[in-house]
Amino acid sequence: MAEKGKGTIGNGKQGKNELGKSTGRSNKGSRQKVIALSSSKKQFEFTNPLEKEIKYKGEKVKLKLYEDPNGFSYIVWKNRKYMLDIIEKNQNKYTVMVNGVWHTFTVESPFSLKRKKYLEKQEGTSSTELVSAPMPGKIIDIMVEEGAEINSGEPLLILEAMKMQNEINCHINGIIKKISVKKNESVMKDDLLVEIEKR
Amino acid sequence: MKIKSILIANRGEIAIRITRTARKMNIQSYVIKTSKEPNAWYLDEADHIIDFTEVTSEIAEFLDIERIIAATKENKIDAIHPGYGFLAENPHFARRCEDEGIIFIGPSADVIYRMGNKTVAKEIAKKSNVPLLQGSEGNLRDPEHAIEMANRIGYPVILKAASGGGGRGMRVATKESEVERMYNIASNEAAKAFNDPDMFIEKYVQEPRHVEFQILADQHGNVVHLGERECSVQRKHQKLLEESPSPALDAALREKMGQAAIDISKGCAYYSAGTVEFLLDANKDFSFMEMNTRIQVEHPVTEMVTGIDLVEQMILIAQGEKLRFKQKDIKLKGHAIEWRINAEDVQSGFSPSLGTIEKISWPEGKNIRIDTGVRDGSVITPYFDSMIAKLIIYGDTREKAMQLSSQAIKKFWIKGTKTTLSFCRAVLQNKNFRKGEFNTSFLTNELKIHYHNAPDEEMLAAFFAVYDYVRDVENAEGKKLNVEKSKNITPWLLNKRLR
Repeated sequence: MAEKGKGTIGNGKQGKNELGKSTGRSNKGSRQKVIALSSSKKQFEFTNPLEKEIKYKGEKVKLKLYEDPNGFSYIVWKNRKYMLDIIEKNQNKYTVMVNGVWHTFTVESPFSLKRKKYLEKQEGTSSTELVSAPMPGKIIDIMVEEGAEINSGEPLLILEAMKMQNEINCHINGIIKKISVKKNESVMKDDLLVEIEKR
Repeated sequence: MKIKSILIANRGEIAIRITRTARKMNIQSYVIKTSKEPNAWYLDEADHIIDFTEVTSEIAEFLDIERIIAATKENKIDAIHPGYGFLAENPHFARRCEDEGIIFIGPSADVIYRMGNKTVAKEIAKKSNVPLLQGSEGNLRDPEHAIEMANRIGYPVILKAASGGGGRGMRVATKESEVERMYNIASNEAAKAFNDPDMFIEKYVQEPRHVEFQILADQHGNVVHLGERECSVQRKHQKLLEESPSPALDAALREKMGQAAIDISKGCAYYSAGTVEFLLDANKDFSFMEMNTRIQVEHPVTEMVTGIDLVEQMILIAQGEKLRFKQKDIKLKGHAIEWRINAEDVQSGFSPSLGTIEKISWPEGKNIRIDTGVRDGSVITPYFDSMIAKLIIYGDTREKAMQLSSQAIKKFWIKGTKTTLSFCRAVLQNKNFRKGEFNTSFLTNELKIHYHNAPDEEMLAAFFAVYDYVRDVENAEGKKLNVEKSKNITPWLLNKRLR
């Protein structure tokens, strides 16, 4: 079990990953925890090799994965079908859709999880609020200037998307540090619009 | 004159919907092929295709009046059905059809103009003794005029574009300091969308229901109503689902509102299918909002409860025929709900989710109708709306329609894009929706989380992520997955299901 710590899951840099090895018959003895960490910091812990029965809310439940001839993957859980689809994946980051609702996770080992938490603590709470585009669209108007004071609830700019003009409002009290877009500029979802310094 | 051929100046599900009725009536259908979606399904459903793919024009294909008129004449097509959106409520287009001797399947250009201008429409409603909201007579001159009127009416007020529609060009102001800003936003939006910055102001009814009446009127002065559609479940004035009948109406109120819809239709000498929209407040007092002079997206719920094909009626009326039924012949039977399945990310504020629909699997069965223009491989483009399909469910009662809706939504599988299906599930689990007690503030006040969220599902998603990750790692390490020997590697290989 001394190797467990090295077998980092979700850490591309270390390259070697013990997960695969442990699934072989010869490694039946080495069991390993794999954790899916949700965006709301919920932890879902599984044991590798993954078993057909998992413990959930104190009871053991059978899981079965299928792929139907049309290319849909689904899981059968407590006699119900759930359609599954991985809509985004980047190294250990996953967005998985279940019955039309998506969830994001990072897949972690106990070690990488510990490190992740440590790093997040180091970063601390930033004093800058980043406002990004909630959807792709076009900047119709900018109501603020760099250096100006702004209060929570006041409008920053107007983003036109799908033929609707949407007011993007400020959610903190602060000072406009930087405006990263220009009037009539097209933006993609998650593009940085405005940086606000908290006050 | 019997119509023998129709150009459908539209795309997607409504184009397909119209070809179906045309086929039933032995009418040749023509559709327009654009370079934006040259492989779209609607092209396969029509009898003839008019190719606009080589066209280089500033004007979008379905808005290009002169090109559409020229193509219609060149192909000697009798009539044009505009569908909804695009040129459906453009009086100039209808006028050009009239000028060129093409039958426009809709009301007259004059009526489209008058009902399209909301200040004129309000005058007609007033003359027809239909209840109206307190507000400005005619358009506002400027933001100062808006403030003056708002102070007189009392807050909150709603600023609306005279030519607005579909939720665009309207904003609510709750206090004096907001009026100028909201006026400017709405007016700019309207100038861009409708080429008309004119605004009017009205008292804003808080938490009303949105109830609309379907009417049919022929060119001989006969008008009937086909009951109402409840459209209160909206987000930013965009409808998300519609049902007929409305849980808020009883027979007496239905008759009263239906008569008002007929009165206003007669008041403007309307013919064709049309929709009169009302606001219904908590005291069940109603007021006229606007009239839509086209076929509506949500028309199927009316078809389900009346058994009347509205597109067929529009064509018959356009041919000059008399309505074949009277008001007493119209019977509303059962209950229908239409769920709009859009390619939108409900979990990110309904933002559009563009991309390719890899796979789609429809629910099937009795009392399930699906109007769609997409199939496997279809692309949701930024050029057009984000609608994937309309799922229309019928039941003897509202309860049964909701029950079947739940089952159908579970069987509706789409791979490749985020959809509003998760929203539909959340709505169906809401107690007040199930009781029929809701209004236009449903999304902001009642349904706090706009998607269905089950802890079990999150766990399954977590499991699937871990499963996929583990499998990837195995593959990367050169362990070929072998189905035959799968037991030796991992019990988690997908069980290939053979039929």
